[in-house]
Order: sequence, then structure tokens, then C-alpha cells
Amino acid sequence: MFVEVPAPAVVAPPRVARPSVPRRLLRAAPPYLYVAPALALLVIWTYRPLVQTAQLSFYSWNLLPTSPATPVGLDNYARLFTLPAVGASVWRTLEVIGGLLPFTVVIPVLVGLLTQRIQGRARAVYQAMVFAPLLVAPVASATVWEWLLDPGAGLLNKILGTSTNWLHDATWAQPAIIVITGWHLLGFAVLVVAAGLANINRDYTEAALIDGASRGQITRWITLPLLSPTLVFLVLMTVLLSAQWTFPLIDTITQGGPSGATTNVYYLLWDYSFHSFDAGLGTSAGILLFVVFGLVALVLVWLSEKLAFHDN
Amino acid sequence: MDAVVAERSRWRTVSGHAVLTVLGVLCLFPIYWLYATSLRRPEDVLSLSPLPWPLSLGNYTEAAHLVDVGSLLFNTTLVSLLTALGQLLTGLLAAYAFAAWRFRLQRLCYLLFVGTWLVPFQVTMLPNYVLLLQLGLLNTLAGVIVPNLCSALGVILLRQHLDSFPKELIEASTMDGRSSWATLWTVVVPNLRAPLAALTILLLVTSWNEYFWPALVLQRTNAMLQLGLRSFMISEGTQGTYWGPLMAVAGLACLPIFVLYLVLRRHIVSAFVRSGLK
Repeated sequence: MFVEVPAPAVVAPPRVARPSVPRRLLRAAPPYLYVAPALALLVIWTYRPLVQTAQLSFYSWNLLPTSPATPVGLDNYARLFTLPAVGASVWRTLEVIGGLLPFTVVIPVLVGLLTQRIQGRARAVYQAMVFAPLLVAPVASATVWEWLLDPGAGLLNKILGTSTNWLHDATWAQPAIIVITGWHLLGFAVLVVAAGLANINRDYTEAALIDGASRGQITRWITLPLLSPTLVFLVLMTVLLSAQWTFPLIDTITQGGPSGATTNVYYLLWDYSFHSFDAGLGTSAGILLFVVFGLVALVLVWLSEKLAFHDN
Repeated sequence: MDAVVAERSRWRTVSGHAVLTVLGVLCLFPIYWLYATSLRRPEDVLSLSPLPWPLSLGNYTEAAHLVDVGSLLFNTTLVSLLTALGQLLTGLLAAYAFAAWRFRLQRLCYLLFVGTWLVPFQVTMLPNYVLLLQLGLLNTLAGVIVPNLCSALGVILLRQHLDSFPKELIEASTMDGRSSWATLWTVVVPNLRAPLAALTILLLVTSWNEYFWPALVLQRTNAMLQLGLRSFMISEGTQGTYWGPLMAVAGLACLPIFVLYLVLRRHIVSAFVRSGLK
């Protein structure tokens, strides 16, 4: 790795003889040494497994060290496209992401616009209140929501006078998981929007006010376009965090059930790998997820760069 | 005319307060209910009175009988401290390399850090699990810590701070004949205290609340708070009698973070929001 590295970017006058090779290596080495520990960890725990996952996706293997993995070509991918569970889980993932958008984009923007005037100490207190759910450990959250939504003695059913089994009923489980995840992320998104709004130069809105624009016009034509990079970021965050936050809730509360009603892609991957011990299926689905994630992120990053020009 | 404008702006302020109050209460209520239930007397656990009165620690003592809370707390603390410290150290070294030098593979290296955003856990879990199995680290705390010793987020955030760090200070220090290692610890780190502290909090909270990896590695021992809580919930079932102790364990699983939050509220909020924005 070090062999081909030339001298560091020292602008040496051309007539001076270049230092000898070992000397140049020595001078080029320090940054690589500093970056090495982090980079090594990254390669071992992120990129090596990514490559191995790609390899395993062409094999059939049951995870037992004693049994060999047999190459099966594209069979795993073919199976993925025929299994009805896969299509259903993709659809449920889209439901989760779509269901989270009100919590991570719509409500935060509305709240942000309605509460721009509140400043100072009161604002800090409100921010502290709405932010707190992000800090709740997911399993603790699962526990308290099991209790709040308990069909017998839970608070919600007592208030509504019903005995719905919100978390373990095929109709309600998925919406319930979405609401709980939304509860975790809502306050964070509110603060992100607030920060985005605070970054918008006041001169634009004041100029528009002087020109006689109404509040609604200002919001529609000035504030929202200037806020659009923040909004794109929030959508990206929703897509990325939906994987991270729904998993512990589903794993603790529903285990993907009842009858698969909460099995989204992230849980299905886990299920294939560690319940069915089908390494081929788990890894090929993982590779597809990686590709889709990459495409979504590319589009959103491209979009946010395009939109970011507004402010210049 | 002015009166109308003033009236309108007052109304806007009042409605703003109303919106935020409702939102704040909705957000806090589940947390309140968690602690309220845990602090009721065991015989009052199913009571729905808004205030837990008379207060009692009965649920906590019962929980301590049913679950080894002490060792769970110790393990979780140990894992999150060591993880955060390791991430801080590897992140600092890497960020220093990016900020203090221009080197050939710099862009590629940096892209590798940024790229981790796109690799969800679920994609890498299987090979990582197999590697831990081969290393004999399954069901050990080391198996939870080691794969998480590098945080790409930490590298990226510290690099952004270091980029605005005055290069003259680093150059002056090397002119004085100090090695880059000495420069890092005597010049850079002392001037980077605030961002380092913010990052430490962020990493601590994240690793404390991490679920996926510990759940995968500690499948048999369940030796961390969230896993202990989960297996308690599954084994005792949610049949009504155990809500008190369950809430007590859940409350303990959140308590250290909330204490930290009460003390360092502003820093925690800004650390999270800024890390999200960048």
C-alpha cells in the first residue's frame, strides 16, 4: 500500500534533487498511520462483511461451520423474487417509511412554522420536552408501550373504553409500531426543522413583507423553498432511521407477527439469517437492500444539492 | 391598524405556546407513565390515577429479586464507556490525519468513512456474526465492543471541527520541533475540548441505547440492560402481575441517560441536531 505513495505535497523547486525513496516513504507515512486504526476497523467490520455478503448471496448455506456452502448461482435472487413474503415485506417497509413521514416531516414543519415566534427560555423548555423520547432505550419504550396499550389494564383502552389488543392484532400492530417509532423521532425532527428555519436569512421575509406579501405567500414561496434541503435531509433520515428504530421494537414486541403483519424488510433479513438459518436468502436480500439504499441516498443527495442553490 | 397587527401577533404567540405545550406533554407522557407506574406500591400498579401516591420503591426491590439488575447496569455501563472511548480515540486520530496532512489516498479514505451510512447493519450482520464465532467472542462483552470501536460519524464530525482549526497553530508547533503525536495532544486536543465533549455524549448515548448488535452477540447471556429487560418481559409475560417490576427495570435502563440529559440538556440536544445536520 505504501510503495506507490509519492512524496507529500511539498512544492519542491524542480532543480533540487528528489529525496531518496525510503526518505519519501517516511515522510508520507504519518497520515496513513493516524488513519489506520479507524480504517482497519472499518474494513474489517463494514467492508469485508459487505463483500462476503455479496459472495454468500451466490451460495446455499445453513450457517453451520461443519456443513459446506454450495454455489447456486443466481438462485437466491430468483427465490427472492418469487417468495410472496418478500414482496409483502417490501410493501410493509414502504408503509413504515410513508407512515413515519407525518412524524418526521409534516408535523415538524407545521410546528416549526407555527412556533417561530417563541424564543428564549420557554423555547428551551419545550425543546427539552419534545427531544426526550429520542433518548429512551428502545426496549424500555417497548415495555412502556406494551403497558400503555395493554388490552386489559392499559391506559389507552381504559380511556377509550375498549379492549383492543393494539400491539398483537393484525390490523393494529403495524400502525402501532409506526406511531411508537414516530414518537421517538418526532421531537428530533422538530428541532432539526427549527434549526433549518433559524438558518434562513430574515432579510428575504422582511423584504417580501415590505412588498406586501401575505404570511401564506411568504411561507409558500420563500420559507418552504429555502427549507427544502432540510426537508430532503429529513426524508433521507426517515429512510435510514426506519431500519434502525423499528427493528428493536418489532423484535421485542411482535417478533414480526401477528401472522407477519409487522415483518418489514429489515426484520425479514434477520428472520432469514437467524431464524431460518438461510444464509443465501438473507445475504441476497441484504445486497438488494444495500443497492436500494444507495440509489435512494444518491437521489436524495442529488436533490438536496440541486435545491441548496436557492440560498446563493 | 397597529392594534390589529399587535392583536394578531399576540394570538400567534399564544397559539404557538399551545401547540408546543400539547406536543411536549404528548412526548413526555409515556416517560412519565413509565416512572409513575414503577413508583406505585406493588398493589397499586394497575391503578390509573395520574399521580403515583403513596410512593414506594417496592417494584424496584421486587425487580432486583427477579433480575440481576446490578450486573446488567455494570455491564451496560462498561460496554458503553469502552465503546465511546474507543470511538473517540480512533475518530480523533483519523480526523487529525485528514485535517493536518494532504495525502494521496485522502479522498478515497474519507469516502470510505462517509460510505458506511449506506451499509445497514442487516447487510453486514451475517459475516460479522460468523467472524465473532470464529474468534470465540460470541456471548462476550468484548464481542459487543470490538466491532463498534470505530464510529464513522465521529470521524466526520471531528474532521469538520478540525477543518476550521487554525493550521498556523499546528505548523508553529511542528516548527518548534514537536512531533505530530505531541502536537495532537498538546495543541489540538486542548483546543478541541467542546466538540470532543459533545461527541463523547453523543457516542455514549448511542452506545447505551444500541440494541441490534448486543442482541445478536449476547443471544445466550442477555447480559445487558435492554436484553435483560426483553428476556424478563418475554419470560414473565405481560399478564398483568409484573407491570411494576417491568417498569422498574425499564426505568433503570433509561435513568443514567436521563440524569445526563438533565445536567447537560443543551449540549445533548445540540450534539444530536448538529450531527444530524451535517
